[in-house]
Amino acid sequence: MSETVTRLGGYAEEVGTKLTTLRKNESIVEVGQDNLKTFVSHLVNDLHVHHLMTITGLDLGQNLGITYHFSMERDTIHVRTLVPKTKPVAVSIVDIVPGSILYEMELHDMFGIEFVGNPWKDQKLLLPDDWPNDLPPPLLKSSKADQIRKRLGLEVAKQ
Amino acid sequence: MSATPDQQRREESAGLMEYSAESLVPFGPIHPALKEPEYFKLVLEGERIIDVIPRIGYVHRGLEKAAESRPWVQNMYMFERTCGICSFVHSLCYGQAVEELTMFQVPRRAKFIRTIIAEMERIHSHLLWVGLMGHWAGFDTLFMWVWNDREVVLDLVEAIAGNRVHKSMNAFCGVRRDMPENMEERIVERMKFLTDRARYYREIIDTEETMLKRTENIGRVSAETAEKLCAVGPMARYVGLRRDVRLNDPYAAYDEVPLDVVTTTDGDVHALLRLRLDELVASANMVTYAVQNLPDGPIRVKVPPIIPAGEHSSHCEAPRGEIFYYVKSSGGRTPERVKSRQPTMANLPTALEMLKGQTLADIPVVLTAIDPCFGCMDRMSFYDTETNRKWTWSGEELRQFGINYYFPERAKRKPALADLVGRSASVEQCSREEF
Repeated sequence: MSETVTRLGGYAEEVGTKLTTLRKNESIVEVGQDNLKTFVSHLVNDLHVHHLMTITGLDLGQNLGITYHFSMERDTIHVRTLVPKTKPVAVSIVDIVPGSILYEMELHDMFGIEFVGNPWKDQKLLLPDDWPNDLPPPLLKSSKADQIRKRLGLEVAKQ
Repeated sequence: MSATPDQQRREESAGLMEYSAESLVPFGPIHPALKEPEYFKLVLEGERIIDVIPRIGYVHRGLEKAAESRPWVQNMYMFERTCGICSFVHSLCYGQAVEELTMFQVPRRAKFIRTIIAEMERIHSHLLWVGLMGHWAGFDTLFMWVWNDREVVLDLVEAIAGNRVHKSMNAFCGVRRDMPENMEERIVERMKFLTDRARYYREIIDTEETMLKRTENIGRVSAETAEKLCAVGPMARYVGLRRDVRLNDPYAAYDEVPLDVVTTTDGDVHALLRLRLDELVASANMVTYAVQNLPDGPIRVKVPPIIPAGEHSSHCEAPRGEIFYYVKSSGGRTPERVKSRQPTMANLPTALEMLKGQTLADIPVVLTAIDPCFGCMDRMSFYDTETNRKWTWSGEELRQFGINYYFPERAKRKPALADLVGRSASVEQCSREEF
């Protein structure tokens, strides 16, 4: 474990959470929505972990998981935060990591999570402009491919 | 004195003449300068671009969703079809993430073969890109020469893997095909040829007026901006950032093969051209080393179809930059979630920054400079011209056809297959001899 990750582990305990090692050079830490911006800010500005690889959305039943994947030389650090499925609103980290802008837009399209503070949060990135609002966001487990195809009139007639 | 009609008209039209300083120009989604559909909203001031708003997703096929309903192994070959240029590295990256979950070790020989194919893919991708840059800069001779040389490396890939682009070489914890015998000499000789050609092209782009005029001082960003916007691959290295997964987090055999990471600090499109040609030479050297020092041993470990529960990520250096896969398993036959992030997505914010301040005419060159790449297909359509009949094959039907094509004797034992292809032709007609 590199010095950066050891220091991050210390900081995680200060803010009341824990860094778990998944394997050599890969660790995960779960942070609440309130602490997220301070945590990411510490990671980027104090520990100089600048590279955000991407943001992954996860359907965890009651909650939606948002995982920020940071990379620093040999280390991969996953920072996970949860938002309730009934009110999918999260804070945006665009002001700390400007490169996260498109990843947040992607999550908005695919999981319906609204990122407060993202300047482009109201426009679509990947989904078509005429995507019906009554359909659930496509990457939720409740969304079925057949349902989407039927609603969009894309059914392929089998011969 | 009241205003004359002439003066009045002039005053009235003055309001109309006041154009706003900014104009909005749509670029794409279908545009001659883009080989794949993508839409950019350009805010122009005269000829200068002052802001760009992207709109992507025209070829989004929902691979991540599709992966959740397919077995682990099938996903590997589906993700390989994410890209029609750097296909191998996608299956490699997905495979590595899954291998972490299985706890099996990849044999050393397989790691070397993976490195050889991955580097050959980089050579072919960089050659393709240099050709396209020549094309967009108005230097089509370069395009034709470079694409002719690209055939050399594609032939080698075909000799090793059996196919030029979609190699399907990877399996979990190994590779599916061993290196053919007596290839070493041929590969070393071809790599030397490609190195010489790359050096020659390097000389051309440094001296040829057409290339210099179109690429010098164009598409500049600062290292700080590229770092903040999380640029990857050549887009990070051309401003001096040493971001290369092969160096930072070695996978496959990169910790054993001597690696030469090329960076420059010039930071314009011309520097990108030089950088990619230098990387090509470095890749050729790596292939030569790996082929000459290829270890003996098995090439594959068999992995059970059920992957233990857990979550892991993996990243690899594709020709365009870092690709990233995140895999979550709940211990079943299909993944719980697969996330894939391609380098073009990571480089898009930097590309938008590069475009700002350039003229409208520079867009093709700058956009091609990031080497954009999108999309995939997983279905096949047929059209019978004689009867005007249209029909579609699903992935499963295609798979069955593939088995039928290679093993006609098996098809005869399975009457369901005859029904499948019998719509237009008999089973015998669909066998290898006919197609």
